[in-house]
Amino acid sequence: MKTSALSLLKWIAGIVVGAWLGQYLLAMALPSLVMQTLYNVGSQDSGVNTLTTRLETDATSRQVVRPSPDLLYAICFYDLSEGPITVTAPVPARYWSLQFYQMNTDNFAGITNQREQAYRIGSTAEVMLVSDGQNAPEFAGEVFTSPTTRGVMLLRASAIGDSLESRQAMAASSCRPA
Amino acid sequence: MKLLRWLIAALLTLTLAVAFLLRSVGANLGATSLQNGDWAINMSVGSADANALQRASVALGGLLGSTRENSVYYRIASVDGEPLRLNCDYRIEGGDYDANWWSITAYGWDNYLIPNPQKRYSYNNENLARDSDGSWVISVSAQEKSGDWIPIGPSGGPPWRKFTDNDFDLLLRLYTPGVAYLETPASAPVPTVTLEACR
Repeated sequence: MKTSALSLLKWIAGIVVGAWLGQYLLAMALPSLVMQTLYNVGSQDSGVNTLTTRLETDATSRQVVRPSPDLLYAICFYDLSEGPITVTAPVPARYWSLQFYQMNTDNFAGITNQREQAYRIGSTAEVMLVSDGQNAPEFAGEVFTSPTTRGVMLLRASAIGDSLESRQAMAASSCRPA
Repeated sequence: MKLLRWLIAALLTLTLAVAFLLRSVGANLGATSLQNGDWAINMSVGSADANALQRASVALGGLLGSTRENSVYYRIASVDGEPLRLNCDYRIEGGDYDANWWSITAYGWDNYLIPNPQKRYSYNNENLARDSDGSWVISVSAQEKSGDWIPIGPSGGPPWRKFTDNDFDLLLRLYTPGVAYLETPASAPVPTVTLEACR
């Protein structure tokens, strides 16, 4: 009787300790899993290497968690396996940013119109994205390297106040194979 | 019999590991964030220096967030230790904050905007009604309030997926934040949230 109670205690202790350590293994796997799900669902809806613009954010916006009603968004699910992509985006005067995310959720590169990059306002950003080890063809704009072949590019522009310029900038932006 | 015992143990371990993880990242973006009063901030959002729990927190509750140089995010899910509830009224008070722009948004426990007929989900530094000294007040309640009011109500997600104590939370976004938010985020100025009454 005493032996079986001891054995049960050992099992329980093993399960609790294993689960405690296991949460860290799960935590390591989770970001890639969530990004993969977002990529699969999003690219099915929107396509790959193309820009999808959402100019209104409300309770039906459920593609990405915690959307801001004060921002306009445009998203591009990229796949560099066939070659680089280029992003072309007019830069408005109010807050604007262009950010790249790799498949483990890291925001590995990006540009904005803020602080020392305010000089971009009024210009058109030309960005090429290549994968690690890929040779970039001749290109007049900026070139970034994606650590993963696939990932997500997100454009944000201020929707605060008169957002006409931001809306026009988003509508004129593109993401396409180079 | 022995194989069955191991299978049950493996299943229990996995279930418990998921529960541990959800508690860790769901409580307040985990034990991975800094506190500024009741507000919590995860300074590693989107950053390559984030650890496994921080990345998991971001994946579940802040996917595609920007790095801190671009924007910082303060989240409040409880006031004085009491989780934010739909049957209670809250008052947010503040002034101005050093950033290109800032906003306060309410999210359901499912991390999405809370459905409401008014389609009012947030206020920003430009659309708040301010007193002559620049101060402002926002009411957060399921019942209609005069002045600036963020309506709350049931989240759009299925109830069986809820694993947080709070029914909703509030997110303060500061885009192109000033130096205080980058260097001393635990003591930088943030709005005050108080519990007014519960029904």
